[in-house]
Amino acid sequence: MSALAWLSVAVFLGAYALIATERVHRVAAALGGAGIMLLIHATDAEAAFFSQHTGVDWNVVFLLLGMMVIVGVLKQTGVFEYLAIWAAKRARGRPYRLMVLLVVITALASALLDNVTTVLLIAPVTFLVCERLAVPVAPFLIAEAMASNIGGTATLVGDPPNIIIASRGGLTFNDFLVHLAPLIVLLMVVFVVLCRFLFRGAFAHDPARAADVMALDEREAITDRRLLWQSLVVLALVLVAFVLHPVLHYEPSVVAILGAGFLVAATRVTAEEAISEVEWPTLTFFAGLFVMVGALVETGVIEQVSRAAVEATQGRLGVAATGLLWGSAGISAIVDNIPYVATMSPIVADLVNAAGGGEHARVLWWALALGADLGGNATAVGAAANVVVLGIAARNGTPISFWGFTRYGLVVTLVTVAVATPYLWVRYLL
Amino acid sequence: MRARDLLTAFPTVTLETPVAEAARLLADQGLPGLIVVDGDGLPISILPGTQVLRLAVPGYCQDDPALARVVDEAHADGFLRAVAGRTVREAMPRERRELPVTDPDATVLEVAALMARTHSPLAAVVDDGRLVGAVTLRTLLDRVLAA
Repeated sequence: MSALAWLSVAVFLGAYALIATERVHRVAAALGGAGIMLLIHATDAEAAFFSQHTGVDWNVVFLLLGMMVIVGVLKQTGVFEYLAIWAAKRARGRPYRLMVLLVVITALASALLDNVTTVLLIAPVTFLVCERLAVPVAPFLIAEAMASNIGGTATLVGDPPNIIIASRGGLTFNDFLVHLAPLIVLLMVVFVVLCRFLFRGAFAHDPARAADVMALDEREAITDRRLLWQSLVVLALVLVAFVLHPVLHYEPSVVAILGAGFLVAATRVTAEEAISEVEWPTLTFFAGLFVMVGALVETGVIEQVSRAAVEATQGRLGVAATGLLWGSAGISAIVDNIPYVATMSPIVADLVNAAGGGEHARVLWWALALGADLGGNATAVGAAANVVVLGIAARNGTPISFWGFTRYGLVVTLVTVAVATPYLWVRYLL
Repeated sequence: MRARDLLTAFPTVTLETPVAEAARLLADQGLPGLIVVDGDGLPISILPGTQVLRLAVPGYCQDDPALARVVDEAHADGFLRAVAGRTVREAMPRERRELPVTDPDATVLEVAALMARTHSPLAAVVDDGRLVGAVTLRTLLDRVLAA
């Protein structure tokens, strides 16, 4: 490799270490890394801004932007609070039933929204309901964070790594529904059963307390009925357009941005309000990552790594997929899965091409998605949703320690990844 | 006219004071807010009345205003009971803000600007590392309007 290639590796590793250790803000690390790559001519403006393979992936950026606007409006309507309280009343104050309903709602919501938004919406209601039932809130919060990570794996828009994988792998919304969603349904069943044992101390039922929950009025949570229906219709249209991609030929990014625009045009929500819902730091973080990883492609580093990976796994697709699944889970347990997937995507793309690029070869994409998404459950810092839940818990006077989360997380990750392994083998490799 | 001319003696609470007791002090004495002091008697936080109220509002209602609406009247009436055991320390706002603390030599304009900037209806006056009292919004307006 050339001196420039080695230099770009050093810049990348330095930025990656800063992101992983959170010594500086992740946006500063990613943009700083991208800036140095441009400074040393490891990449240039042409590649960084206009190349589909070595530059900012605008499909990813605009899909995220559009979904952030739609979710930002939807969350103001109170629909999640409504659902959670409705669930608590349906559970008739029985704690385990309540947990099952809450994790199922969380998983479903996470499949459509991003995981952090989902847990931010569900956690406050959980505090209210658990306080009424006098049951410990921590097990419920931990279970919800994990359910959001599992549920988010099911769809293209559920978790940012999936959005990157879809764009880089040329995978459609329906591909995710067909290949990942069935496994996620199975994993949720396993997870719900697992919760019964993991959190068995948290399910003391008190009939007198149950009456307190029944006194809550979920209808009061809905602030603006009109806006609720409008945003639900837009969300439904967006989902239909995702699914009808083979007919309509609109890319997911285009659908999301059109949906967001339609929502602003058709409702009382103003453009300023919609724009304020966008998490610009996240979008710039993505842009920086893409330029940084793109520089590694430009300097030939990724090609070298891919060649080594192809040689090592030549003709052994099963070994490659299993290794990718467990390896990704292990790495995502410790570091943010977004930079990991951004880095691995060009390598996995090369591996898929080397393996013929067909249906079977694409098992590698599913292995990457499952490993990266499910691995996030393993530790308290493995996924953004976990970090957010720990923050909310601490703020409300019921802190959850690193090990308080991780001892459950390790079990859930091991079990879910262990279930995913035979799924990949039976469906794609045998 | 200086801060020392507007001084009033002002009760204080510590981080160990129960939230309910702090609220009671505020109500009984009709105070505009509370001064929270550390072990040395120096102000570590100055809470306007509304922020003392905030100490008692359940965290989930602060995180998600929609939840305050779903609570039934009977439970809503007794919301303060839920924080019975909590102390001021546990309920303190996390973000560090500029404190409305000044010295006895500050002019009335300085004190007014400080109170306006920090959204505080009172400013603590510290002299030589010792809390000597407070200037309240009411005293300040009274004197300024009379001048």
